[in-house]
Amino acid sequence: MTKAPTIIAVLVIVAVAGGQAHAQAPQNSDKLSTWLPYQAIPSLTYYSGAPNSAFGFEWELAPVLYSFGMNRQISPWYFFIVEPPGRFTGSIELNLAVQTFMRKVGSSYFGFSGTVMGFVPLIERGEHLTLNLGVSLYRVGGTTPVFGVVGVSTLFGMVHLNLKHSPPDNIWITSLEWRVF
Amino acid sequence: MASILIGMRGGPQFWAALVMATVVGCNSVPARFMGKAMERIGDPVIPVAQKEKDPVVDRTGLSVLWAGHATVLIQIEDKVFLTDPLFTTTAGMLSKRYIEPGLDPASLARVDYTLISHLHFDHFSFGSLDMLPAAGTLPIPLGVLAYTPVLAFREIREMDPWESLEEDGVRITAVPVQHFSGRYGIDIPWMRDRGYTGYVIEYRGRTVFIAGDTGYHPEFFKDIGRRFSVDLALLPIAPIEPRDFMRFAHVEPAEALQIFDDVRAKFMVPMHHRTLLQGFDPTETFAVEQLEALAEQQGIRERVIVLEVGERREILKSTIVIPPDG
Repeated sequence: MTKAPTIIAVLVIVAVAGGQAHAQAPQNSDKLSTWLPYQAIPSLTYYSGAPNSAFGFEWELAPVLYSFGMNRQISPWYFFIVEPPGRFTGSIELNLAVQTFMRKVGSSYFGFSGTVMGFVPLIERGEHLTLNLGVSLYRVGGTTPVFGVVGVSTLFGMVHLNLKHSPPDNIWITSLEWRVF
Repeated sequence: MASILIGMRGGPQFWAALVMATVVGCNSVPARFMGKAMERIGDPVIPVAQKEKDPVVDRTGLSVLWAGHATVLIQIEDKVFLTDPLFTTTAGMLSKRYIEPGLDPASLARVDYTLISHLHFDHFSFGSLDMLPAAGTLPIPLGVLAYTPVLAFREIREMDPWESLEEDGVRITAVPVQHFSGRYGIDIPWMRDRGYTGYVIEYRGRTVFIAGDTGYHPEFFKDIGRRFSVDLALLPIAPIEPRDFMRFAHVEPAEALQIFDDVRAKFMVPMHHRTLLQGFDPTETFAVEQLEALAEQQGIRERVIVLEVGERREILKSTIVIPPDG
C-alpha cells in the first residue's frame, strides 16, 4: 500500500510528459494546465461483493487511446490527454485507475485496475450517447478478479455509467465516472 | 480531493462556502440559461408549412434560402453553398428549437461547399452534417479539425483568416470576425482565440460575406469592405440580452447594420435569430423587429431582406447568356 503514492506520482509524471508530447504548440501549456486539475476530480464507485460492500472514489488515467471515429487528417492516437470527441466518436482505450473505499474491501481500503474499453457512438456521433464495452482487471481485497464492463456515456462523453461484473467471484462494481479528457 | 475530505469531516465553513458558491453560480448567466432551457423542454416546435421541394434551382444569379438560425442555402449560378447546417431538434442537447428547420436536408441533391464558422453546437452539428448528401468540400476554421469526426465529405479544409480556397472558379476566403471558440467548456483556454471565422464566397462575379457569429469589430469589417465588393452580407442579429454578457461575441441589430455599412454590401439578410433559445431576449422576434425599425429609420429597408424560416429569395438574376439552341 505504501507504493500507491509512488505509483500515482509516476503516472502523473508520465502523463505530463505524454501530454506534452501529444499536444501541439502553442496549445501545450493551456491544455496541460487545464487537464491536470481535472484529473483530481474523483469518480464515484460502489463495490458489491463478499464479505462486504463499500462506496468509494476512483481516479482514472487513459495512457493510450486509439480513435477510429475521428477524421483521418489527424492522428488517431491519444496519450493521456484525450479530447472528448477522440473518445466518444468511437475508440478503444487502455485506462488505469486507483480506487479508495470508505470501508475495507477484503484486506484493504484501496484497489487498482486496468481496463481495455471500447466506445461505440450511438447518437450524434457519440456526443449524446455511446455504448461502453470492456474488460477490467482489478487488484482489490487481496484478489485479482476479471470483470466484464458494460455501460453508457452521455453529456459529450463526460459522464459515464458503467456496470462491472466478475462472475466467478460474484462481484459487482457500479461506477459513475466523470471523464474530462 | 482535499476539499471532499474536509467536507466529509463536516467543516462548517466548507459547507457555507459551497452553499454560497452554489447561490452565486445559480445566478450566473449560464445557470439562468439552463433554467430557461429546462422550462422550454415540453414546448411544441412550430412547424414550417411551406418547404421548398427543390431548393436548388436550375438558373439563378444569387439566391438564398434561410433554413433557420445560421443555416443558409446559397446558390450562385450552378454552385450550391450551405452555411452552418443545423437540422437537429436541439443544439448541444439543451438549446431547443422554437421552429423546425425550413429546409429538408433530404431534398438537397448536392451541396458543393458546406461552410462551418465555428465549433459551437448551433453551428457545427455532427447529426446535421450526417444528414447532408455525401461529397462536397467542408471548409472549417483553424483548430476545428481536432473536433471533426469521420464525415462523408470529399475534402475537409482548415482555413486561417485570409486564407483562400480556390477550385473550379469558386474562391472562398476565411475572414476575421470577433467571437470565441471551444465546445465543451474545458477547451476554452486553448481555443479562445482560434476556431472561428467568417467567409467570403466569390463566384461568377458574385460575392457573399458570411459573418457566422460575431461581435462588432470595426477594423475587421472595414477591411473586408475594402478588399471585396460584397453583394450580399449574411449577418447575425441576436441574441441581444443580456447585453453586457453578449456584447463581445454577438452583435445586436444596430451593430449588424453597422457591419452592413462597413463591408459596403448591396444587400443584407439577417440570420442567427428566431430559431433557438439563446440569451434572454423577451420574444423570438425581438431582434428582427428592432432590425426592421432601424432599417426603416435609416432608409435602407429595401436592402435589408428579412426572410421567414424556409423562405427562398432570388437576390440577383443570372447574367449568364444561354445560346438559343442550348
